[in-house]
Amino acid sequence: MLEIKNLHAGVKGKAILNGLNLKVNPGELHAIMGRNGSGKSTLANIITGRDDYDIISGKIEFNGIDLNEMAPEDRALEGIFMSFQYPVVIPGVNNTYFLRAALNAQLKHFGKKEINAADFMRLIREKLKLVNMDEKYLSRAVNDGFSGGEKKRNEILQMLTLEPKLSILDETDSGLDIDALKIVAKGVNDFRDSTRSFIAITHYQRLLEYMEPDFIHILIDGKIVKSGDISLAQEVEKKGYSWLES
Amino acid sequence: MKYFRDEFDSFLDLNKDENDTLIKLRKKSFENFMETGLPTSKWEDWQFTNFSSLNAGDFRLSSANDVIKPPGIVPGQIPHSHLLLIINGHYQPGLSKLPKNVTISSGADHYFSHPEFYSHKNMESKWSKGLNPFYSLNTSMMNSGICVQVEENTVLSNPIQIIYLTTAIQNEIMNHPRFVFELGNNSKATFVEHYIGSTSIGYFNNCVTLVELGQNSFMDHIRIQEETSGSHHVANSFYGLSQGSTLNVNNTSIGSSLYRHNINLKFCDANSSANYNALSLVDNEQHHDQRIIVEHSSDSCQSNQLFKYILSDESSGVFNGKVIVEEHTRQTDANQSNKNLVLSPSALMNANPQLEIYAEDVKCSHGSTTGQIDPEALFYLKSRGLSHKKSMELIMNGFISDISELVNDKHISEYLNKIASQQLQKIMK
Ligand SMILES: Nc1ncnc2c1ncn2[C@@H]1O[C@H](COP(=O)(O)OP(=O)(O)OP(=O)(O)O)[C@@H](O)[C@H]1O
Ligand SMILES: [Mg+2]
Repeated sequence: MLEIKNLHAGVKGKAILNGLNLKVNPGELHAIMGRNGSGKSTLANIITGRDDYDIISGKIEFNGIDLNEMAPEDRALEGIFMSFQYPVVIPGVNNTYFLRAALNAQLKHFGKKEINAADFMRLIREKLKLVNMDEKYLSRAVNDGFSGGEKKRNEILQMLTLEPKLSILDETDSGLDIDALKIVAKGVNDFRDSTRSFIAITHYQRLLEYMEPDFIHILIDGKIVKSGDISLAQEVEKKGYSWLES
Repeated sequence: MKYFRDEFDSFLDLNKDENDTLIKLRKKSFENFMETGLPTSKWEDWQFTNFSSLNAGDFRLSSANDVIKPPGIVPGQIPHSHLLLIINGHYQPGLSKLPKNVTISSGADHYFSHPEFYSHKNMESKWSKGLNPFYSLNTSMMNSGICVQVEENTVLSNPIQIIYLTTAIQNEIMNHPRFVFELGNNSKATFVEHYIGSTSIGYFNNCVTLVELGQNSFMDHIRIQEETSGSHHVANSFYGLSQGSTLNVNNTSIGSSLYRHNINLKFCDANSSANYNALSLVDNEQHHDQRIIVEHSSDSCQSNQLFKYILSDESSGVFNGKVIVEEHTRQTDANQSNKNLVLSPSALMNANPQLEIYAEDVKCSHGSTTGQIDPEALFYLKSRGLSHKKSMELIMNGFISDISELVNDKHISEYLNKIASQQLQKIMK
């Protein structure tokens, strides 16, 4: 699904990722942990193609396609999705309208018939239930007046609607209360299958208790210094990161 | 400048039969205009707008030669509205049936029945802050326009739409339309004042609009400026609000290379409220300059202004807004907001929101922001698979979405949305 080879990358000319390797196969959930500023969000931004974030050397392939030079919207259409660490408010842009436009862009990309407003409402109501969100959020502007946790749920709502192949969850658990965390984790778990992959960036082992990752990676100074199973997360929770530094 | 004198002289010649007092008013106004000439960059409140193209121009006052047959399909016509059509300054009667309790009169007829709307003395005393050379020029040569009066206790279910169309002209013309909209006590109506151009030849419209709201009346005024890109559009609008009246204005401007609009709004009596939303969408070298003065001269009045501009290419915008709260007025609530989106590094916005408060019992807010498309928002939308173009479109439509909130008529809303999104498509490129 995703293959990153010896990736050096940065933002605005500053190097942040320093030789990162990662391979994510279909059906796998990889968790990435690491200190503040270690480069986790940078990795997510590089994979999704954000402006100002540049690959210096190395390679990212998604299902065999080289992602370098590919526009973010094309990556999204190919099935890459990021749940933002800090979802942005977009004044005046209606949430429902936006999400239907996004779904239709995808349907059109695959030569399928676009979904009309009525069918979309039926679909979105189903998805709302999965994240336990009230319908009133649909009529608001994107993320406008949403609490921190509501924004995160809105991200998951978008994921469940767009059904990406690779979902990158950048600290989706941060700011969620325990009930919301369970709801979001259940949403993700029900969505998991042998064809979809996930990269979950988190600071807390708690999320991983609900999500059952296949691999845990520890990112230090833009490099994966150690990979392992859930026990690695437990170890980090106890000991912190310094023992992993070289 | 010389052409103004020539045109004025031949106008007087052609209208020799006009009533003496009206001729006197015209002459006096023309003298006033010639004394000052057109505003220059040295004038306070005019410094950002250059009228040299009007000085250098050679606009002929529209004449009988410019009378043409109305087109089969009138551009801009809004469904379910009562249409009043003026083409090249010439009223086309008999196109639509007006509702009961609504009377229209044109130029001289209205002047004789309502000289108070025209007398310089009256205008000076009521609108001392709003008079300027363009107003005088309009009075001297007012040659078109229409007065619409809605009687007391009348509720109009359909809007009255005035289309002022400039089309199929042979050479550069000018017009000085005078509009009066009078809404009787306890009445309710929607007026659409709509300027459209369809010609590749340049022209100059110098408009004056007087709006009077009777006690406890309710007016929606929609002003649409869709002149051609080669035209000049200068306007003076005056709104007088009587006790307990409510005014909602939507002012959408997308045309003209040179657009200057002076808006004067006055609370003449207590307990009234006015909401004024304005939108300018410009590209190329368009210049849009709007100045509004809101005078809170009575108790318990509320005003809200929202001015938004989107500027692309080498276009420029000016917003100059002043709220004046006069001494001894009580319970004033005044809000003013100006927000601008600049799409290109060569586009320029000048904003100057001002408050002049001479009373104590006041709730006021004002502010102005100018910025670019938020790159975070743009990336967010793209990361969901939306193209660059679609994402930009969504963000800009989102930016202007609150402007149309004041429009109550569905057909007008649809029309405004349509022209705004077409213009956005154009200026995005
Ligand atoms: N747009 C940017 N401009 C300048 N510096 C940036 C930018 N984005 C990230 N950085 C820097 O890159 C480094 C890595 O940031 P990144 O956001 O990837 O960290 P993170 O691991 O996600 O941290 P956190 O756990 O706090 O979210 C930080 O030092 C950060 O300041
Ligand atoms: Mg981060």
